[in-house]
Amino acid sequence: MNNNSNKMFFLFILFFSTLISISSNSWFGCWIGLEINLLSFIPLISNSKNLLSVETSLKYFLTQSLASINFLFMILIKFSLLKNFNMNNIISIMMNSSLLMKMGSAPFHFWFPNIVEGLSWMNNFMLMTWQKISPMILLSYYFNKNFLIFMIITNLIIGSLGGLNQTSLRKLLAFSSINNLGWMIFSIMISENLWLFYFLIYSMMISMMISLFFLMNMYFMNQLFINNMNFFIKLNLLINFLSLGGLPPFMGFMPKWIIINFLLINKFYFLTFIFMMTSLIIIYYYIRIIYSSFMFNYFKMKWVNLLMKNNMSLINLSSFISISSMILSTFIFM
Amino acid sequence: MLKNNNLICFNSFFFLFFFMLINFFFFVYFIMNGLSVFFEWEIISFNSMSIVMSILLDWMSLLFMMFVSLISSVVIFYSKSYMNSELNLNRFIILVLMFVFSMVLLIISPNLISILLGWDGLGLISYCLVIYYQNLKSYNAGMLTALSNRIGDVMILMVICWVMNYGSWNYIFYFDFMKNDYVMFIISFMIIIAAMTKSAQIPFSSWLPAAMAAPTPVSALVHSSTLVTAGVYLLIRFNYLLIDMFFFKVLLFLSILTMFMSGISANYEFDLKKIIALSTLSQLGLMMSILSLGFPDIAFFHLLTHAMFKALLFMCAGVIIHMMNDIQDVRYMGGLSLYIPLTSLCLNISNLSLCGIPFLSGFYSKDLILEMVSFNSFNLMVFILFYLSTGLTVFYTFRLIMYVMINDFNLMMIYNLYDEDYIMLNSMFVLLFMSLLSGSFLSWFIFSYPYMIYLPFNLKLMVIYVSILGSILGFMVSNMGIYSLNKLLLSYNLSSFLCLMWFMPNLSTYGLSYIYLNFSQILFKNIDMGWSEIYSGKGIFNILKNYSVFYNIYQMNNFKIYLFSFILWFMILFIFFFI
Repeated sequence: MNNNSNKMFFLFILFFSTLISISSNSWFGCWIGLEINLLSFIPLISNSKNLLSVETSLKYFLTQSLASINFLFMILIKFSLLKNFNMNNIISIMMNSSLLMKMGSAPFHFWFPNIVEGLSWMNNFMLMTWQKISPMILLSYYFNKNFLIFMIITNLIIGSLGGLNQTSLRKLLAFSSINNLGWMIFSIMISENLWLFYFLIYSMMISMMISLFFLMNMYFMNQLFINNMNFFIKLNLLINFLSLGGLPPFMGFMPKWIIINFLLINKFYFLTFIFMMTSLIIIYYYIRIIYSSFMFNYFKMKWVNLLMKNNMSLINLSSFISISSMILSTFIFM
Repeated sequence: MLKNNNLICFNSFFFLFFFMLINFFFFVYFIMNGLSVFFEWEIISFNSMSIVMSILLDWMSLLFMMFVSLISSVVIFYSKSYMNSELNLNRFIILVLMFVFSMVLLIISPNLISILLGWDGLGLISYCLVIYYQNLKSYNAGMLTALSNRIGDVMILMVICWVMNYGSWNYIFYFDFMKNDYVMFIISFMIIIAAMTKSAQIPFSSWLPAAMAAPTPVSALVHSSTLVTAGVYLLIRFNYLLIDMFFFKVLLFLSILTMFMSGISANYEFDLKKIIALSTLSQLGLMMSILSLGFPDIAFFHLLTHAMFKALLFMCAGVIIHMMNDIQDVRYMGGLSLYIPLTSLCLNISNLSLCGIPFLSGFYSKDLILEMVSFNSFNLMVFILFYLSTGLTVFYTFRLIMYVMINDFNLMMIYNLYDEDYIMLNSMFVLLFMSLLSGSFLSWFIFSYPYMIYLPFNLKLMVIYVSILGSILGFMVSNMGIYSLNKLLLSYNLSSFLCLMWFMPNLSTYGLSYIYLNFSQILFKNIDMGWSEIYSGKGIFNILKNYSVFYNIYQMNNFKIYLFSFILWFMILFIFFFI
């Protein structure tokens, strides 16, 4: 039962549920949105013919429902203890924790690489981009600054250290997603506009990469090295990875730059240090991948035919956008 | 047989010869009428800044230009036949022409910037010419040449810096006014050091014998007459400034020692071009020492006559090397006067002119120098070393003549020695003519009145005594058998000290770099490949990798464990913040 019309239906409900969640008046509406989100995502990822995807969808269901239960409970406690401001601290912490678990952020992230390993690229794309919108926005409504800064540091460290030992591309992108979650949570604390900016650029970069991997049907690192790809595909890969890591002339540097600017102006020096160092580790393992695939000349396997003639325009466009958007964006403000 | 059919040799020879004739005409006109012309060309003038190129033409610069263009034209014509089998002859000739251009720029410039252009050009192009044959020995020689000359370049740059105190780089305007200034003191020190590096005096003299790795026409042009005399010329130009300075006495001391040292070392040498290089070094020391005694015009006179016969000597050496199938070792040669009469004629005349045999060109300048030294009162060491060096000059000259021309031919049983290379011979005859006549010709022109010298009889004949002694010793030494020569090993320390130019090449190359290379090896092993690897290179990578592996232990778990960890975390937060 894998029709496109089924997928369209559930996708529509997925989008709608996020909109419900972020535009509701009360916390209860938020919770409802989150539940519908969960319920509509499960059919998207479960495929009864594949045992792994069944297991994946089950894992996803379990963690997300645990988080939803927690969220609902904390909302009810908050409503019942309305006048008691002493509990604000702990309630905000618990609510933030449950939202963090929804997103797959640091202390509650163990399910995230596992599940990502079991999904196809398109489902991964939905998981990494769309599913983060409503928890983030709900986080911005009621957050605890000290707690979140601690979570950010944990996010960054786990995202960078966990990815060093991976060879599967999906897990790699999962750990980089955890790292970028750290940046995004901090940008929520600065301003929601900035979060939107970061999120849009992040999802654009992730979409470029995932579309590239999807078209070439690549799931593991060694698949990048075995094929002798077209030069432009390799160039696109290089540019996208470097942009994701936040290297200057590329697009991904811009949001990170603004965040660092804010950090330094407001004297968050230690946090800046952690942001920088973990970015370095992440760029290290990106460069490790693209160095091997970009610089070396591998044998051409004749049974893998990588004719990308139909999709070259998309790749060229994405490379062009990644390279030039930082400079072109200055023209907007002229 | 001529393989290279190009016209660049002929064209440049005619051009330079014509240039020489123009210079000769103007020199005669200028010196007879006492003229001196100063051209100034204003390139840009903007508010208060102006860039001006100036050229000074007086008799000294015209005469020197005439000699330089004559020698270079003859050398280019000579190299048409000498460098015949060279594939890139155009490159060679163009390098030589650029060298001549730099030298001319140095000669005619009255300000320090164009001197710097000429000076740096000389150093750079002589490096390109020394490494022309691309082998390891030429590379090492080129490095030694270029780096020694570079010290002089740096000194001139610093002089430019200091002269900016006076507002202009035209140094000739400041001689009369600023003699006792502190700035002039520093400038004179640096100028002397620059001239010492270029003219290869004692601390920097290791490059001149090493630069014999260059092709012979290059040695004839560069290392006999033009490059090495650039330092002397600079000091002649700055002479008014330097004459009272203390460092001039230091220069006297060092140049006398150079003269003496190279005279001794030339007696131990068996490489033809090295003997001639050391004789050039000795004559350079002579020029520098008479200059530092206060006689710039005699130094200039000796510079010019020496250029003539030394270039001729190098060219004859080139012919001999060609004929000996590229062997430069003097022990293989012998009896050449019987087989190549015309070349040995040139060789003889240039050698005897070097010794100072009466009425050849070298006699006029050398004898004048020695008589001036005896006539004016200088100290005993100056006197002894001058005469001793003259004797040593005759010594190694006669040794060379005996080895090359008189003793038996030592190369092979079957030989073909020919003297019919008319291109080389014609170029040598031009220099031969000049080498015979230039002494008297120059002395009539340069000295408007002769020097008044009044010496006692024996002192006058001292030169002849020393020369005869030297020639007898040269004759005896060249007849020494190999078993007697081996006895030199008994006094190994002394003979190696005297033979290896008082160990200056070793000091300039190995001695300077040994400490630093050792130290940098220690640094490299301990820091680059040692501690900095632990603390920043592989060490940090290992730490991060271990953390990642450790993290993976937590990641690779059952799902229950994840859920349990979440609940545990909630409980911790709850308890921690609630209580």
